[in-house]
Formats: sequence, structure tokens, C-alpha cells
Amino acid sequence: MGEMNIEFNVNGKQVRVSAEPNKTLLYVLRGNLGLTGTKDGCSSGDCGACVVMLDGRPVNSCMVLGPQVEGSSVVTIEGLASNGELHPLQRTFGETWAFQCGFCTPGMLVSCYALLELNDHPSREEILTAIAGNFCRCTGYQAVIKAVEQAAAELRAAKGGAGND
Amino acid sequence: MHQASMSIPEYTAPATLDDALGIKKERGAEARVIAGGTDLILRMRDKVFSPSVLIDLRRLSLDGIALSDNELRLGAFVSLSQVLESADIERLFPALPAGCREFAGPPIRNRGTLGGNIVNASPAADLVPPLIAYDASIVLSSSDGERVLQLMAFFVGPGQSVMEPDEILTEIRLPLMPASSAATFIKLGQRRSMAISQVNLTTRLSVDESSMVSEARIVLGSVAPVPMRAVAAEEFLLGKELSEKLLNRAAKKARDEVTPISDVRASLSYRLEMVEVLVRRALLATWDELRGSAPDG
Repeated sequence: MGEMNIEFNVNGKQVRVSAEPNKTLLYVLRGNLGLTGTKDGCSSGDCGACVVMLDGRPVNSCMVLGPQVEGSSVVTIEGLASNGELHPLQRTFGETWAFQCGFCTPGMLVSCYALLELNDHPSREEILTAIAGNFCRCTGYQAVIKAVEQAAAELRAAKGGAGND
Repeated sequence: MHQASMSIPEYTAPATLDDALGIKKERGAEARVIAGGTDLILRMRDKVFSPSVLIDLRRLSLDGIALSDNELRLGAFVSLSQVLESADIERLFPALPAGCREFAGPPIRNRGTLGGNIVNASPAADLVPPLIAYDASIVLSSSDGERVLQLMAFFVGPGQSVMEPDEILTEIRLPLMPASSAATFIKLGQRRSMAISQVNLTTRLSVDESSMVSEARIVLGSVAPVPMRAVAAEEFLLGKELSEKLLNRAAKKARDEVTPISDVRASLSYRLEMVEVLVRRALLATWDELRGSAPDG
């Protein structure tokens, strides 16, 4: 089969790409759209380096075929910052040294972002569950947990400040 | 690196189930259904499957969860995450979300489906023991109609089932359990996440008004070519009053019934040992649960 047209939303922008159906979402993001922040680690759904948000949920983009995302919304690591400001998680990952080589970081950040979208006061256990599909092979997970806790506290403070309690 | 090795000559996302079944009728085993794809994509890369056409059923809304007076119906495309988010399933069939909780990690659970876990017919499938313990039946649809069969009767061997080339698994049905019934899921893997089971199992016990065992299910995965019930151990429990000694003996019987192999994940002798330990542990937890819930019943 030749190429198929796939239309979907990436980081708030509607895009249309042409790709063979055996190309994964990961390949389409990196190859067709030049969004190389998302990494190709194991290509088998084990390591989590390729995690992106698909219709509001974190998924392994190496385990999704391009045509499966027709009409869907995708958020990649490139979509976490807004108006030139890093997402609090991206900042706290830096502040707590939650990465070393950085290869797992885009997927790790997207998994943590997905968690904080649903829950801005996660327990340590909930953080560990959220990153259970993301392998880090250098820094370890303690600093990641700290970064998520710190970002969650900032998000709560920002919300509290905006409210009138 | 893996990208180029998978071949998908044709891809289609039909608008109706009839259209999908028509393609299956015409193309048979050459046509494969893709749901979450988390296992299928790996198998296509490894050339275990080389379908000439892939049928994507995402437009058919096969992801419903519907509770009625006598059963719960789950569309084959219900994801593991959907199972975890359903209050009805947690209340009525808690061993099923227990199986989902230790399944891979969140990104895989967001894509992987109940139907996929069944159709793969892996002896290690984590969701099959809880489904069988709850007496699940499944609906296989084809353009000639549909047939309903017990999930237990679906499996033939590793990766093999009784599904015909023109059939699609569309629904899973769970009958509501009696009031005094409880179930326990246990998975043994090398880690709590992202691990294929060395042994997985679900036990379920029901008791009658005089506290005698009226139903017993001991369903094991990864210890035989297909998911299996330890039938002799189940029968041994029927009509008896629960005690620690009784459950110990049932666990020993279960050990005698399984036929595991040695593989990269665990040796035969380790699996045998673990079957006895884990069946005992699961039965004791199930008994505990029954006693805990008795005053409400």
C-alpha cells in the first residue's frame, strides 16, 4: 500500500501528513513533522522514551500506527511549554537534577505531566505508578519523584493564589 | 531500527461492524483486527503475523461498559485503563482491576484492550484468570451471526484459539456474582511493573447460608499451554467448611494439576513450588475477604 493521508492535532496545531500505514506515530512525529524531542529507545513499548499524550492519555508512540491517530490530539514534549515559559515540571526536573543523559526525560516528563493534569497532589506511590513505564538508566528515580512533588506544590500554590480561599 | 521491518500492505478503518465482518469473510486469516496494537505491532515486526490487510475498528465504539440486572457487558475494545476507572467493575469484579493494576505500565494500559489480551491466547495473559474465575463468556461475531461461548473453552494452545478466520471478538460478558462470593488475583513477576508473569492466578469462593463452599474457582496462567482451572482442587473444596487446613490441602492438589515448563522467566520446579504457595495465599485472602464482607451480605 502506498502512503495514507493522516490528519490530527499536534500541540494545538492541526497537521496533515502522508505516511505508509506501517509507520508508527513515533516515526511520523520525528520523520514527517521534525518533532525530534520524542525519543526512540526500545521500539517495543518497554522503555517509555517515546511517551506522548494521545487524546489526554500517555501512550508509547512506538506502539501506535500513524493511521490510528486520525482525528486525534497529540501532545509531545515540545507542547509542554507555553508562551515561552517552561512547564513547572520542566523547571523542577532541572532544579532537582532529575536527569543525567536526558534520553528518558521527554517520555518521563510527559508521563509526569499526565499525572499532574489529573492530580496535583499525588502521593509518592502515585508518582511511582505514573512512571512505572519509564525507564531511567542513569540518574535514578528519587530526583524525579522530588521534581514531581515540587512541581505539584507549585501548581497548587499557583491555583491557591488565583482563588480566594 | 525496527521501523522498516513491518509490512502492512493495506489498512482500513471501516465505519460499521458489518463492513468489518465482510472483510473478514472475504480475506479470512489474511485480515487482522488491530485494537490497541501493543502486542500485534510487536508480532508484525517479528514477522509472526504478516497480515495483508489490517482492520482498525476504532470507529465502531466497541469500548462500552454496560451493567444490567444479571450481567456486565464489556466491549472488546475496553482498555485496561478503562477497567481501572470503572466503579462498577471495582465493586462487582475487583480481581479484574487487580490484574490490570500490575499489567505493564500506564502507557501500555491506556492502549491495551481486554479483547486483545484474550485473542492473543498467551498462556501468560494476566486478565484471563480473573475473567475465567468470574465465569466470563465471550461473543464472537461473523457475517453469519454471532456465537457466545465460555471463555474457558476459547483457548487451544499458545497463541491458538477456536476463533474462526472470519470471526471478530466483540464482547465479554460477566454474570453477576452471588452475594457471598469473593475473589483474589495474584501475579508473580520479577518486578511489579513491565514484567511478564511467571505465575498468575485468580481464586474465587462462594459460600451458602451454612457457610459451606458452594462455588470454587482456581484459575492459573503461565503454568500450562493454556490458562487452566485446577478442577480437582476446586471439587475438593465444594460442600466443605472453610479452614486453613482445608485451603492448604487444596493448594497441594492444585500443584499436582499444573504442567508448567521451564523458560527464561522461571524454571519448572520454581513454578510448581510457587503454584502451591500462591494458591494457598490467594485462597486464604479470598476466605478473609468473605469473612470481612459477611456482615453486610
